[in-house]
Amino acid sequence: MSDDDPKARVALTEQEPNMGQKQNTSPPLSAPAVIADAELVRSCRAGDMNAWRSLYDRYAPLIHRFSAALGVPAEEREDAAQDILIAVYRSLRHFRGEAQLSTWIYRIAARHAIRLGRRRRVRETMRVMMLKERPQPEIDPSERSTQLATLDRLLAKLAPKKRTVLVLFEVEGLSAKEISDVVGCPENTVWSRLHHARAEMVKAARRMV
Amino acid sequence: MNWLENPQSEAERLVRDGLDQAARRTGDEITHRRGWAKVADALLEPEPRVSGRLVLASVSAAVAVLAVAGVLVYPHLGSKTPAPLALPSLPVPAVAPSEPSGQPTDQLAVEESERAPGNVIRTRKGERARVALGGGAVAELSENSAVTWDTQHRPSIEQGTASLSVPHQPPGWRFSVTAGPYVVTVVGTKFNVKVGGRTVGVEVSEGIVEVWRGSRSTRLVAGDAWHGPLYPDDSATQPPSGSSLAGPAASATPSVARTAAPSERPQAAAVASSAPLVSNKPLASTSRGLREAQAALQAGDVNRAADILSHAAQGSGLAAENAAYELARITRYNLGRPRQAVALWDRYRTRFPSGLLRAEADLSIVDTLSQLGEVGAALAEAKAFLSRHPNSERRAEVQRLLERLRAAEASSEIR
Repeated sequence: MSDDDPKARVALTEQEPNMGQKQNTSPPLSAPAVIADAELVRSCRAGDMNAWRSLYDRYAPLIHRFSAALGVPAEEREDAAQDILIAVYRSLRHFRGEAQLSTWIYRIAARHAIRLGRRRRVRETMRVMMLKERPQPEIDPSERSTQLATLDRLLAKLAPKKRTVLVLFEVEGLSAKEISDVVGCPENTVWSRLHHARAEMVKAARRMV
Repeated sequence: MNWLENPQSEAERLVRDGLDQAARRTGDEITHRRGWAKVADALLEPEPRVSGRLVLASVSAAVAVLAVAGVLVYPHLGSKTPAPLALPSLPVPAVAPSEPSGQPTDQLAVEESERAPGNVIRTRKGERARVALGGGAVAELSENSAVTWDTQHRPSIEQGTASLSVPHQPPGWRFSVTAGPYVVTVVGTKFNVKVGGRTVGVEVSEGIVEVWRGSRSTRLVAGDAWHGPLYPDDSATQPPSGSSLAGPAASATPSVARTAAPSERPQAAAVASSAPLVSNKPLASTSRGLREAQAALQAGDVNRAADILSHAAQGSGLAAENAAYELARITRYNLGRPRQAVALWDRYRTRFPSGLLRAEADLSIVDTLSQLGEVGAALAEAKAFLSRHPNSERRAEVQRLLERLRAAEASSEIR
């Protein structure tokens, strides 16, 4: 069947050589399409741009969601996601594969969000000091939902460590063991922080309604 | 069972609903596509090397800057009037003369000191002016136009047409310009603002723009045009089926229509539509078919995902466009059929010549052909990309690819 034949070109049953592989070694259609993280890391380290694209597609939405819940404002999120993925790229050679790739990325993202928060606070303090007035809180265009806006206000009241644990558990769905790997503390501490964070959230929400 | 799955109070329900929504806050597809363009660019760049001497020089420079800033800022700390240093200051390019337009022009130069609240820069008939607005943004004022600055030092288009070019703003910064009752906010883009008669119009040629009025907003992407009434009670200018700004309390009902970006103007009529655009996800990612395809893909059922996308691509509108593009993408990356993927992207281009993902499709074809070793075809596509998308964020990436392809072609000729 010629590749120039338009019908042949779009027929999904047609077999083609897979790029970068020898002819007739393309994966069967029933092969799992989702490449395992370990395989992805190997290909990324080998400089395969397609693997990098797959890694980006897999983790950019996660980073966006996690950064948002950790208080990175909408206008900084796009840049934050890029910074985090570029940091992943630059340090992937140091990734030993002892933890899951997602755990490692969560760790980088959490550190970056905390760093951005610190910079933001310094900037606001400087503005308040110099302008002698409190800056107007900017409306976040992407946060049109009242529930989300309320949640962000409640999360902002938590200490960063408690907030990170609560977000990883309740928003990201990680287990206590995985969270302990991300934040680098014992599992008991994770449970304790989660317990306190939940209690503080509900208490603050009661004051709000 | 999730925490607070059966809420016992309004407060608990509030927390649970917020957490559920936060779990779905994954960003829109435009943001991710643009993000990949920048990440890919960084991956192709050689990694910067920082020498110890450079670090030392940077630290010394930072100390010197802080010392100078301290000397300059200290006298203003007790003052009621905000000092210029106290404002968010970004590099401001000098005012540059506009390109000669062939008609009588009286180019106006605007000093930074003239951008004071209440000052008005006005062009008369036959005049054009290029005005540095701060934050690296530049406005080109057409004849009979006026720009002023409000008390927050924010530029405001009072009358006429201004073509704005805003460089990508640093994290945490957002450029705003007002026009009548609307605030247009951007992080880096090119767009036109028109204030004339009884309407305000915004046309986006690159990037993403948000138009705000009070707590309501609409998001415009490249190729979108929007207009709304200048005066709140002006019903005469309201289009019969215009879209409203998203949010709870706007009185005006401006409209949004798709037009073509400058590089795609010949096909503008083919894609013009008056469909409302009030969603955060302009690529219609909320479409059920696309969600099902995504779920099938995540479950590893690529064939089912391909079937769903193939079906969705038969329709019309942005959902069909996105499905057509995605079908080609999974054909290449998940099914491992690059030639077929090229054919599908080609089909996408035929169906959606001015589509939102046109540049992505063109680039995917270049990339796939070069991976297949079809150097001649890839070269032709790369050259076509550069001439078709002169302002693309992926231009640098394609330029590098073009150079590699040329080198490959030359080496094959030598052999």
